[in-house]
Amino acid sequence: MQIELRDIRKSFKVYKRPEGKWGLLRGALMRNVEVVEALSGISFGIAEGELVGYIGPNGAGKSTSVKIMSGILTPDGGECRIMGRVPWKERTAHVSRIGVVFGQRSQLWWDVPVEDSFDVLRDIYGIAPGDYRTRLAELTATLDVGALLRTPVRQLSLGQRMRCELVAALLHRPQILFLDEPTIGLDAVSKLALRSFLKEENRKHGVTMLLTTHDMDDIEALCERVMVIGHGQLLYDGQLAGLQTKYAPEVTLKVNTDAMIAAMYNDLALT
Amino acid sequence: MNMKQTGRASRSLLRISMAEGLQYRASAISGVFVSVFWGILECVLFTVFFTYGDNAWNNNGLSLKQTISYVWLGQALFLFQRMSIDGELMDKINNGNVGIDLCRPLDLYTHWFVKSSAGKLGTSWIRSAATVLAGLLMPAGYALGAPSSLQGFLSFLLSVAMAFILCSAFAMLVTAIRLNVTWGDGPTYMLLLLSGILSGTYLPLRLWPDELQTFLYLQPFGGFADIPIQLYVGSMAPAAALPGMGLQLLWSLVFVLGGRWIMNRKLQTIIVQGG
Repeated sequence: MQIELRDIRKSFKVYKRPEGKWGLLRGALMRNVEVVEALSGISFGIAEGELVGYIGPNGAGKSTSVKIMSGILTPDGGECRIMGRVPWKERTAHVSRIGVVFGQRSQLWWDVPVEDSFDVLRDIYGIAPGDYRTRLAELTATLDVGALLRTPVRQLSLGQRMRCELVAALLHRPQILFLDEPTIGLDAVSKLALRSFLKEENRKHGVTMLLTTHDMDDIEALCERVMVIGHGQLLYDGQLAGLQTKYAPEVTLKVNTDAMIAAMYNDLALT
Repeated sequence: MNMKQTGRASRSLLRISMAEGLQYRASAISGVFVSVFWGILECVLFTVFFTYGDNAWNNNGLSLKQTISYVWLGQALFLFQRMSIDGELMDKINNGNVGIDLCRPLDLYTHWFVKSSAGKLGTSWIRSAATVLAGLLMPAGYALGAPSSLQGFLSFLLSVAMAFILCSAFAMLVTAIRLNVTWGDGPTYMLLLLSGILSGTYLPLRLWPDELQTFLYLQPFGGFADIPIQLYVGSMAPAAALPGMGLQLLWSLVFVLGGRWIMNRKLQTIIVQGG
């Protein structure tokens, strides 16, 4: 197994203001500390080249586990080995082999052209110049961002920026890619483009992907295996089809709304 | 991660941070106006004190002419000091984007040290140069004088470079402390203000009470501005340059080690804010 988690636990302290009439004042003097368990013993394994969907309601612990797997957070307990390394202990060695895309955060420099950000990443990851050129050419061609390279990041639309984020995350040829809500806020056309790109990248380079999302069309289009998490525990791990037979046995026909809307945009020449 | 690799990454970060800093030209120009205004104000004040004082106070061998030069260089070097934590790093701490930087195969301390000093360098050298130029162009009584000697000037230049490193190292220590998100900005501003006062920028350290002089010489913040400027104006002989720069180096090391230690400890328990 390329990724292995065993009984990973993590809890956070949450500060609560006391209730009642004088709660505001009392809260300034003494705080009620409440310990919230974000992950209460999660275990799973992911093999090389798998494309796994990771779903669950808000606050279920998805982001926390992704952060632990990318070496950002240290768990309270449990074991985790990714490509033979413990992420939070050998952070720098670990992160040079993975890529991360957070849909709500940007890893590009805001005020300078996109290309400058890529150049900095080349130096940070120590990518050889020749390899960098071929990789950049390949990524810009498939994601169609060649025309954006000289534009400052702040002037890109969300869809354009997200495509550039993907280039940034994949420049150093990571073996594992963590995607945290990559399609959030994107229009139908961008979503479809992103999905087909991810699928292609997975097929061609064998990149393992863990996809966190609330968009079930993402999951359906990309992942065979899904993991459902709730209250910090793994509730389901298996085929997406298995969920369907259990919870939606009567559904037989479904319109792909994204494809429909994308077709409309294309028809109206909006893209 | 070897040294060569880190060096290349640092250079690259330096370049992009400077490019970002240079985007804000209007802020650089207005900054020069503030520096020059303060410079003139202080020149007037010190002229009054020196001219009409009853000589009962001990100026520790700092003449009016030297004090005027001190003021202008103080304004120029003041730009190395932080009035607040680097905006980009502050945002990262507050909204959890520190996670993005932790996903880079770089030591976080080195990464941030380079980023914040480069951001500072990107804007401050223009402002510093413009302030010095303004000082040189002032009417005779208020003008920045020539250095006391060539040796003094050379040791001044070297000491200025050390001052920049010292300021950056201290800013990183403060940033590391600020990683305690729930503490808020209070401790940060107290530390930065204290360092500013003890650097001599507001009142040349030689003009402080005699009993404090030994303390003022040994404390870390004199290295921000006082040591290089005294080397320039000659109230500190070139022979004293080596011990002075030794002090700057020593305190830089202390701040780097302290900042690293606090940051590494914080990273064990860090909470990455937001979903």
